[in-house]
Amino acid sequence: MKKDNPPALLTFQDLILALQQFWAERGCVIAQPYDMPMGAGTFHPATFLRAVGPEPWSAAYVQPCRRPTDGRYGDNPFRLQHYYQFQVVIKPSPEDFQDVYLESLCTIGIDPTVHDIRFVEDNWESPSLGAWGLGWEVWLNGMEITQFTYFQQLGGLECRPVTGEITYGLERLAMYLQDVENIFDIVWTDGPLGRISYRDVYHQNEVEQSRYNFELADIDSLFHAFDLAEHDCQRLIELKLALPAYEQMLVASHTFNLLDARQAMSVSERQRFILRVRDMSKSVAAAYYASREAMGFPMLESAGPPQRGASQR
Amino acid sequence: MSKAADFLVEIGTEELPPKALRNLMNAFAGGLQKALDKARLEHASVSAYASPRRLAVIVASLGFAQADQELVVKGPPVSVAYDAAGKITPAAKAFAKKCGVRPDALERLTSDKGEWLCFRSLERGQKTAELIPGLVQTALQGLPIPRRMRWGEGEAEFVRPVQWIVLLHGRNVIEGSVMNVPAGRMTRGHRFHAPGEIEIDEPAKYLSLLKKAHVLADFDARRKTIVAAVKKAAKEAGGEPVANEALYDEVTALTEWPVPLIGSFDKSFLSLPKEVIVATLASHQRYFPVADKGDNLLPRFITIANLVSKEPDRVRAGNERVIRARLADAAFFWEADKRVNLADRRDALRDVVYQRGLGSIYDKSARVVRLAAAVGSQLGVETPAIERAASLAKCDLLTGMVGEFPELQGSMGRYYAAADGEPGAVAEAIGEQYLPRFAGDALPETVAGQALAIADKLDTIAGVLALGKKPSGNRDPFGLRRSALGIVRIIIEQGLDLDFTALIAATIADQPVGDKDEKDLSEGLYDFVTERMRAYYLDGQNSLTTEMFAAVMAKRPVSLLDFDARLKAVAAFVKLEPASSLAAANKRIGNILRQAGVDAGVSIDQSLITEPAETALFESVVKAQKAVAPLLASRDYTNVLMTLADLRDPVDGFFDHVMVMTDDAALRNNRLALLAELRAMFLNVADVSRLSISQESAH
Repeated sequence: MKKDNPPALLTFQDLILALQQFWAERGCVIAQPYDMPMGAGTFHPATFLRAVGPEPWSAAYVQPCRRPTDGRYGDNPFRLQHYYQFQVVIKPSPEDFQDVYLESLCTIGIDPTVHDIRFVEDNWESPSLGAWGLGWEVWLNGMEITQFTYFQQLGGLECRPVTGEITYGLERLAMYLQDVENIFDIVWTDGPLGRISYRDVYHQNEVEQSRYNFELADIDSLFHAFDLAEHDCQRLIELKLALPAYEQMLVASHTFNLLDARQAMSVSERQRFILRVRDMSKSVAAAYYASREAMGFPMLESAGPPQRGASQR
Repeated sequence: MSKAADFLVEIGTEELPPKALRNLMNAFAGGLQKALDKARLEHASVSAYASPRRLAVIVASLGFAQADQELVVKGPPVSVAYDAAGKITPAAKAFAKKCGVRPDALERLTSDKGEWLCFRSLERGQKTAELIPGLVQTALQGLPIPRRMRWGEGEAEFVRPVQWIVLLHGRNVIEGSVMNVPAGRMTRGHRFHAPGEIEIDEPAKYLSLLKKAHVLADFDARRKTIVAAVKKAAKEAGGEPVANEALYDEVTALTEWPVPLIGSFDKSFLSLPKEVIVATLASHQRYFPVADKGDNLLPRFITIANLVSKEPDRVRAGNERVIRARLADAAFFWEADKRVNLADRRDALRDVVYQRGLGSIYDKSARVVRLAAAVGSQLGVETPAIERAASLAKCDLLTGMVGEFPELQGSMGRYYAAADGEPGAVAEAIGEQYLPRFAGDALPETVAGQALAIADKLDTIAGVLALGKKPSGNRDPFGLRRSALGIVRIIIEQGLDLDFTALIAATIADQPVGDKDEKDLSEGLYDFVTERMRAYYLDGQNSLTTEMFAAVMAKRPVSLLDFDARLKAVAAFVKLEPASSLAAANKRIGNILRQAGVDAGVSIDQSLITEPAETALFESVVKAQKAVAPLLASRDYTNVLMTLADLRDPVDGFFDHVMVMTDDAALRNNRLALLAELRAMFLNVADVSRLSISQESAH
């Protein structure tokens, strides 16, 4: 490092704050993490449900993600069963979405005239959400740091207009920016009360949760919980309560992931469970659409000034 | 003003899929050329360009308008248009009305078939500028895009969102929209080296303007640059690039301004299997591995960046960091996988579904054990090694490494088998089971590998056919055609004499599908494989024809190697001078026998042979039979047919002088028996009556 330009260390929380600030300035609702376990930021209702239907929407938020099978008891420098995504969704996807994204990288200290940044084809499909989209993984000097997707279908419904989704891998970015080789060495904060690492905050959690996910989660209870959630989801859909029904789908989906980590399902059984979750997702998407339609799609009215460069001419 | 000028169309997009880019580029240029030709727009050469953010075509000397076209509408015949008195009829009036003119404006059209009324008009050619947006749209619509996408609020669908459109004819912008984006003359350069728009004044400047903006838009030129740069960098790194044509294509499609960088990794990783390092570098990261003269990997790689970085060392360090993590992952799998013997993984294959209706992978592997053993015994080799290899063949599917790198199936099995202390023949066979994987790929070299490769593929085809899912048209999701071709290549090119029909019967009987018609399926499987064999021969550099193939196919030889020998004999026979007349004679004899309802095997009564030409033929046939018997036994079909070629004169003499269908029943039947004998001799090799040989080609 050059002496005349000592780089300020961007801590994990600085990274989050910088991204929030950036997208807040571009008009996004800064939503908060959803308070239920889920496998990806896409499952947050601010993405999945808001991408359904014609109403415009934009949001940015951190979402803790749980992927029980990825746990490594805190021993692996790259893999965690609980990690963070920073999620941005804008509907309709703006024309300059890629450019704005690249600007956001500049704000966190990634200069595109120094680093080799590439958009490499990567198409997204989620069988359990009945969803697919096309887009890229973004490479920073050969490392994937972001997923960039234009949703085409969600819960079996065509996306019109299309929602654009950006998912930053926060730990990967932080490791890169802080030049550390181990996730647990990421500096979470470094302030007047001392330096706190990712290890300090999450290592014990990784060890204990890995034990739970792989060894201790009670299989019979999980199967039962899945059935209950599915049943409740259907009951709530009949009552036209899309949001509570959606939460039951989230329960079922996370329960499925735990059963997967416990290797409790054969291959064909596993496939059947995925289809059951997908059926819930589809019913919820349809119910949500119907509920918004019944309200006359209120956000079509309140949509602010046009967001798109093209329409401002 | 000149009548033509160069035309440029550029579709500016967000980053296009790299593996599809070259195809998209060529399909766009091809589709546009077709559309221009269909619209009768004159032009000179058509050139295609592509980079991650653009597809472009330059059409040289494109006319400014369609040529005017004379239209002729044919009306009623003159005989109908005028009555006997020479007065115009209602039919002719109706035709004139339809054409929107008075009857006296109609003209006459004369041909050797008669005379008609007709209406001639001149259609003015449309202006190119009016046609172009629609033609471009048509060409884009026809691109081979598996999944199109929408973006924003629009309904336009394309590979990725369209950002800008350039339509430039000479110095003029063609007004209009493509994919709902208005056309202009502004393009964009490299994302980071040349942000902002760039004005193109005329198509001829396209490539040079983009080059100034750090974009090499010519795909092939960019590829050449990359190939040269990788080679040079590899030399600098002390070796040669481990070349891979598909990787060069992909990297070309991922860069607009390629810049090579040499990276390194810790040499301790070189203890990993070579395939693992190559897969990590090449398929995961699109890096080029570097090897020394002895084909040993060096701890270096070449990556192609898409910019001239202000701090290239940071780009290099970033890439090295990724590869370090990836190789560490691979090393972890390598060590962890070796802790469990392949043999101990086999039971777990019971939980992996092979295909619905065909059981688990374990079930498949059990079938392949039986079938590979059958192949081995036919080849006269000891089968324990084959059976061991077959039983372990699929176990590597459960290793962490193959989970991470599916393309290493088989290769990893070989390494893990060797690490388990399995015999060399077993490990090699496991490594060879998927060969050949693509056209021109290597074949299994060991006998056990050949037996396993044949059995694995044959079981795959048999299973899918038993499920009633025979490939049709372009749909061949299980790659059955490739498997069949692989079997053919191994058997023919490595000279394996197998009773193929017996293997087919065995594998069909072994498929766990209820209520199957085994005879029907066996024939279907034989036909499926021999159909690939036909394609294999017809695609090859040889003089074989569909008819030669049909001549041998009529015999349905049980061994494909025997099939091959017969086919080569027929090909040699066709070149002989007597071939055409003998082929015709065989056809004639076949017809005579069929009409007379005579089967082969009726004995000839020598006392009834009276005519000299008849005697001559009989004696020639007897002589030939003696001569060909040992040749047939040694499958020397070429010399069998050479010998039979000598029969041309007696056969011709017989038909010239002897009446077969004489009234005397005894004589008639005796002559038919003689012909049946003759025909049977040819049929011992192939049904030459199916050959139609022109006199010219018979020399």
